[in-house]
Amino acid sequence: MNRLSFWSSLPFAVLIVFTAPLLIVLSSLFGDYSENWSHLYEFVLFNYISNSLILVAGVGVLVFFLGTITAWTVTNFNFPGRNTFEWALILPLAIPPYILAYTFTGLFDPYGDANNLIREILGLDQDVIIFPSVRNIYGAITVFGFTLYPYVYLVSRSAFINQSKSMIEASRMLGLNQIQVFYKLALPIIRPAAVGGMMLVIMETLSDFGAVDHFAIETFTTGIFRTWYGLYDLQTAMQLASLLLITVGVFYILEKNSRGNGIYTSSNSTFSPNKEEVLSGFRAFFAFSICLLPIFIGFILPILELSLWAFEVNIAFFNEKFFKNSINTFTLSIGTGLICAGLALLINFSLRFKPTKLIKRLSSLLSIGYAVPGLILAVGMVQLMVGLDNLIFSNLDIVLTGSIFGLLVAYIIKTYALANSSIESGYERISNSIDDSSRILGSTSWVMLFNIHTPLMKTALLTSVLLVMSDVVKELPATLILRPFNFETLAVSTYIYASEERMLQAAAPAIAIVLVGLIPIIFLSKMIRSSRPATEK
Amino acid sequence: MSNLILEIKNLSHSYDETNQIIQNINLEIEKLDRVAILGPSGCGKSTLLRLIAGLEKPNLGQIIIDGTVVSTEKFIVPPEKRKIGLVVQEKALFPHLSVYDNIGFGIKKNIDKKTITNDLLELLKIDSLKNKYPHEISGGEQQRVALARSLAPNPKLLMLDEPFSALDKDLKGVLYEEISQVFSERGSTILLVTHDSQEAEIMTKKQMKMEKGQFL
Repeated sequence: MNRLSFWSSLPFAVLIVFTAPLLIVLSSLFGDYSENWSHLYEFVLFNYISNSLILVAGVGVLVFFLGTITAWTVTNFNFPGRNTFEWALILPLAIPPYILAYTFTGLFDPYGDANNLIREILGLDQDVIIFPSVRNIYGAITVFGFTLYPYVYLVSRSAFINQSKSMIEASRMLGLNQIQVFYKLALPIIRPAAVGGMMLVIMETLSDFGAVDHFAIETFTTGIFRTWYGLYDLQTAMQLASLLLITVGVFYILEKNSRGNGIYTSSNSTFSPNKEEVLSGFRAFFAFSICLLPIFIGFILPILELSLWAFEVNIAFFNEKFFKNSINTFTLSIGTGLICAGLALLINFSLRFKPTKLIKRLSSLLSIGYAVPGLILAVGMVQLMVGLDNLIFSNLDIVLTGSIFGLLVAYIIKTYALANSSIESGYERISNSIDDSSRILGSTSWVMLFNIHTPLMKTALLTSVLLVMSDVVKELPATLILRPFNFETLAVSTYIYASEERMLQAAAPAIAIVLVGLIPIIFLSKMIRSSRPATEK
Repeated sequence: MSNLILEIKNLSHSYDETNQIIQNINLEIEKLDRVAILGPSGCGKSTLLRLIAGLEKPNLGQIIIDGTVVSTEKFIVPPEKRKIGLVVQEKALFPHLSVYDNIGFGIKKNIDKKTITNDLLELLKIDSLKNKYPHEISGGEQQRVALARSLAPNPKLLMLDEPFSALDKDLKGVLYEEISQVFSERGSTILLVTHDSQEAEIMTKKQMKMEKGQFL
């Protein structure tokens, strides 16, 4: 195989590996339907669909309002704390929904810390319950809404920043007040971007397993898990997974289209950034409260509750199990990070070296794994590993099934998009004339890759490794299913403790997950702080 | 034995079907020649250099370097195997390498890299900059480094694409003289592309005019 054909064939080969588990899952639709399927169809499928729809609709509306209103407030008004809110509003992204769910039940269950605190302050009886139960679909909507709204906030903020001052001024001259400008003009203009962010949130919501399982809500993911582990019927679980995959696929296409439609921003030469209005008194307090609320519920509250648990049983931080699970998690996440970054570097290099339309299209398809729920990926991966074991190691006992290999491949498929986005933007900063010069000076493709591109991409490579690591650390359903026997990660350990209602012990691994989850937030907040154009005085 | 370093026969090229960038061009450059191609922006002169360098594949015609056919519409010898040099306006120095390492980058391992690099540093009067990085030196100095880097592998033909256009007038005057001297000392064969007739006259012995992808 010569070098050129290696670079051309690499994206094909990777695409085959990335799509194989998904195709295996989808192929189940054409297989036999067991009695379990009839049972599911008759008794629970409607619940799965209706609950998923209510969840998606509720979360969609909540994140749309939380994301756009906070973005509008921080981009158009100047009030105490505005600069901090601008980046702090993305902090809830560091909290996986399942951890917020655990802390919510710890806080708002009848004898949870929040109820206890209020009862103690007001001197009320033990049977007085202040906060309503969160172990229902509305609790789940709140959990997803307050952890995932930053997806909408990020795109809305950037869209609002790009709105021209003259356009806003013209609307004020036509008699619109600030609130009317928001919902009559600014919001419709950024709608495609905000809807794109909303679609991402919906995909994340549909993919979740930990939070809905904790609240005992029947959705597709909990159904798949129960069908497999309760009824031991993998075929029916795959058929359910196929339905979910098709649903996620629809939202994936909607999200891509929203991006394609773009944002109706002023890109002409007369663009001037919008001037902020300085707020004081009650208006400043109101803006401050609007921005504080989502941070308080989505970040401060869970951190407080986790810290409370951690102080009560801080010994959990130092026990052998915690260290062992941390090492497992770290090894897996750094391994996935390095492989994803290396793979993204090779694929992007092949795009640069052999920029054909076909390779470009194939490469964009490689990011699809990010939209696929971890549970579906795990179901497909199990089948793939079983198939490979039968094909390659038919004389031996199982080799790949239940091994760390399947888990690693699933992580790579799921997180490749994160590594790719960082490497892609890193490559955009390397001029093509650098490549031309290096080739004319006698560099082969590999020399160019290792001696020129790799050192120039150090930061992008490091960023991509860290982004992948933080995502792998949080991943729950795929890990739960694909992990080797007796192998635990921090996410699995948190899940097991929480499912046994041992919340105090769950604090140590949960805090570790949140700390690692803060890594991409630090990068994002840096970008946010440097992204605001200078406004006219 | 033929003295021809570069031979172009009936070369045509376009990026799309409607816009013919290069139209049936023929050109011969002998060893030690110094030729300039003069023409306005967009006339196809830079594309011609990219075709000679092997960075683009022609639609029609042949390019022969030192007696070997390197480009036709059917096959193309990659740039790294052509043994030619190219200096462009944006210099394209490797930002993560020092001046010394930039110059030595293209020298093959079995050749005395140190001597060649030091000779070029001295010849182009940049030996004091050898440990600096591209972002630490001026535009004129960067252009000298780019030139030294292209000369280091001892190319059969050195092509210069508007190498001085980003520099101010005074600096250009100094560089023209000095670099012409370097070319004479090293016995380099040069193909310069520029829109500046004064630059072409000082740097080269023969000037050709190009317009709409053809020599006039």
